[in-house]
Amino acid sequence: MDRKLERILPLVQKPARYTGGELNSVIKDKNKVDIRFAFCFPDSYEIGMSHLGMKILYSAANERDDTWCERVFAPWDDMEEQMRRNNIPLYALESGDPIKDFDIIGFTLQYELCYTNVLNMLDLAGLPVRASDRKGLSPIVMGGGPCVCNPEPVAEFFDLFSLGEGEEVNSEIMDLYKEHKKRGSSKEEFLTDAAKIPGVYVPSLYKTEYNADGTLKDIIPCEGAPETVTKRIISDLDKVFYPDNFVVPFIDVVHDRVTHEIFRGCIRGCRFCQAGFIYRPIREKSPDVINEQCKTLCKNTGYDEISLCSLSSSDYTKIEELLSKLLDWTGDEKVNIALPSLRVDNFSEELVKKLTGVRRSGLTFAPEAGTQRMRDVINKNVTEEELIETANIAFSNGYSAVKLYFMLGLPTETDEDVEGIGLLAKKVVDAFYMNPDKPKGRGVNVGISASSFVPKPFTPFQWEPQATPDELAQKQEHLKNTLPSKKINVSFHNIPTSFLEGVFARGDRRLSDVIECAWKKGCRFDGWGDKFMFDKWQESFVDCGISPEFYANRRREYDEKLPWDHLDFGVSKAFLMKESKKSYNAETTPHCRIKCAGCSANKLNGGKCDV
Amino acid sequence: MYDLRLYISKKGRIKFVSHLDMFRLMQRAVRRAEIPLWYTEGFNPHPYISFLLALSLGVESEGEPVDIKILGDMSPQEVKDRLNRCMPEGLYVESAVKPFNKSAEIAYGTYKVLYSKEDISENELFEALTSGSLTCEKSGKSGGKKVMKTVDVSQHIKSFKLSSENEDIGLEVVLPAGSTFNLNPIQLSQAVSGYLGKEVVPVSVIRTALHTEDMTGFY
Repeated sequence: MDRKLERILPLVQKPARYTGGELNSVIKDKNKVDIRFAFCFPDSYEIGMSHLGMKILYSAANERDDTWCERVFAPWDDMEEQMRRNNIPLYALESGDPIKDFDIIGFTLQYELCYTNVLNMLDLAGLPVRASDRKGLSPIVMGGGPCVCNPEPVAEFFDLFSLGEGEEVNSEIMDLYKEHKKRGSSKEEFLTDAAKIPGVYVPSLYKTEYNADGTLKDIIPCEGAPETVTKRIISDLDKVFYPDNFVVPFIDVVHDRVTHEIFRGCIRGCRFCQAGFIYRPIREKSPDVINEQCKTLCKNTGYDEISLCSLSSSDYTKIEELLSKLLDWTGDEKVNIALPSLRVDNFSEELVKKLTGVRRSGLTFAPEAGTQRMRDVINKNVTEEELIETANIAFSNGYSAVKLYFMLGLPTETDEDVEGIGLLAKKVVDAFYMNPDKPKGRGVNVGISASSFVPKPFTPFQWEPQATPDELAQKQEHLKNTLPSKKINVSFHNIPTSFLEGVFARGDRRLSDVIECAWKKGCRFDGWGDKFMFDKWQESFVDCGISPEFYANRRREYDEKLPWDHLDFGVSKAFLMKESKKSYNAETTPHCRIKCAGCSANKLNGGKCDV
Repeated sequence: MYDLRLYISKKGRIKFVSHLDMFRLMQRAVRRAEIPLWYTEGFNPHPYISFLLALSLGVESEGEPVDIKILGDMSPQEVKDRLNRCMPEGLYVESAVKPFNKSAEIAYGTYKVLYSKEDISENELFEALTSGSLTCEKSGKSGGKKVMKTVDVSQHIKSFKLSSENEDIGLEVVLPAGSTFNLNPIQLSQAVSGYLGKEVVPVSVIRTALHTEDMTGFY
């Protein structure tokens, strides 16, 4: 270990974030690889090490003999200060080598408010933050993850984006890079070629033009770049690479367990939910494959907990078969199974019985809205009866704490809809006291978490104005004042945070200036309440002459050119428009297994969906 | 079922893993090694693994005693070999023996501390250690409340030896360790800093041995 680093680590919080050396981390001989890949997660170690996508892509890249992929996280502010003071550049955890000299630096963009961390990490590495200022072939700075469905606000900082699922396309990018590195190509030559790989978007090859009113006029591809870049998907989840090993962190991270995805995509089509659309089409993994992989992972990591993850676990068609298979061995091995993301309407008694065999935590359900009309507008397809019935199953099985997720600021929302949230929670409280099988000697605890709705690209609400900060504050106040029971706790999301998220979610390329400006003013870790400096952001918008309201609170017309129109995530714009119009009439769309809604995402999988 | 005491060395960057995190780490290591451990009974059963003495963050060790209970008759050698195949970098089971002393009998620890000659000279260090007036602030409890107490460090230095090692000064020091009173080389360094009126942070600290009250080895 570097002596300089060794002397500063005792001065920072949780130094094991910065040491590397965790079990199963991959060490290779740097002289025997062609590609050094820095996989960067632009948030704290504890958040990044919880992320399944990073585990998958880290292992997949290291499967290649010619590549050494290493992990990098955003240093916390105390460490940043020490690094800058002692001239320690951002380094990768496995080798301790500065990432500046790597071939590829890949960022996963999970959340809009991590953008300043990306800039800060590039700067800590000793690299210019703007792609146009980084002249050589290496390092290539690429981005992936859900935010790249509209990467325009960060387009100036990246050389390329990888759209959709990365297992295959990342490897294709590395193959091409290797070829160009051997040839001694320039960065431009490599990027022009990379743009021909399906799923690769090279922002510098697209010119943007704007109308006088500030809206987008056109995005024009150059140098043979495709008009539309279509996201990549993995056709068969049973055959795709899945790690048999996770890096096991030393310190406690957010999700410190074996995580296994059981399917990708979602059948539900809730109109506010970006994940429900951009991860389509639906593809399940078979129970046998999941079971075997979980067994291997538990053996190799020593974890005693498995979390089955997906967008809606109870929609997995073979959930009972899978749980039976897992419970066959997890009981003896004292392994606990967690099943998050359960829906209210198909939460069965058998399922909860199976899960209560292991350690129990609280239950969380997401009705998302307080009245039936509002739930119909957002196509949540959950009724009050179903929620009460589910709460009763939970109470009869020993649960006494229930958490309910709601959103404020949904399109067409009225005061009555806001009041409905409290009334619905009160009915859950009443159900507890009327339940003859409720846990004895305990009171009920119903928690409401009310977040602020942020309209996102590739959803039927992508044209909607976001409720203004003032409107959101009034709604929060109204909910608090109309809560009908003291058994209900309510918590809210920070409004300025949601506002900024709304700006960047549907922003365009001109926002790159604002992000750079805010970063220069010291903004980092904007997703962390105690680090978020809204005043610096407001100053930055003023300095750059950009109105954030233009992006967050403006209604877009259906025929307006959107900054992500040249990207194709499967679902068609016509479908989203149809869904948008239905929402105004509170008209629901049945889920995909009842009736195909014709979203066209199946074109990504040769016409196949859910088979 | 029988009791087994492991002596685990902790060297290199893993010294930055805290005492609290070590428990979870060991729990996973015994699972990977498939060692049949006795589980505690109760609402939330967990394998019985007991670190006899805390080791401060950033301090290395030649062998920390850890007690476990083995179900069945797997031999100590087998336990040691299996664990060593599954340990993270920097941790190694040096020995696995039937416990002799009780954990409460730990009274002293021997540490090897390195200071950079850029930070402090041998004479300065000698002067500080023999001054008789070293003190440091230590958090303690008084009537259930957390309070800062001034500790007379000088009277607790059982013995010490200085040596010159290239760019560093080596200090071998015996300090109180155990359940009743603890003083570690980082606190000692703070006391030295206070005495000399300048910041003296050790380059490295390693605990080399533990002793009972009469200074025999702890086994």
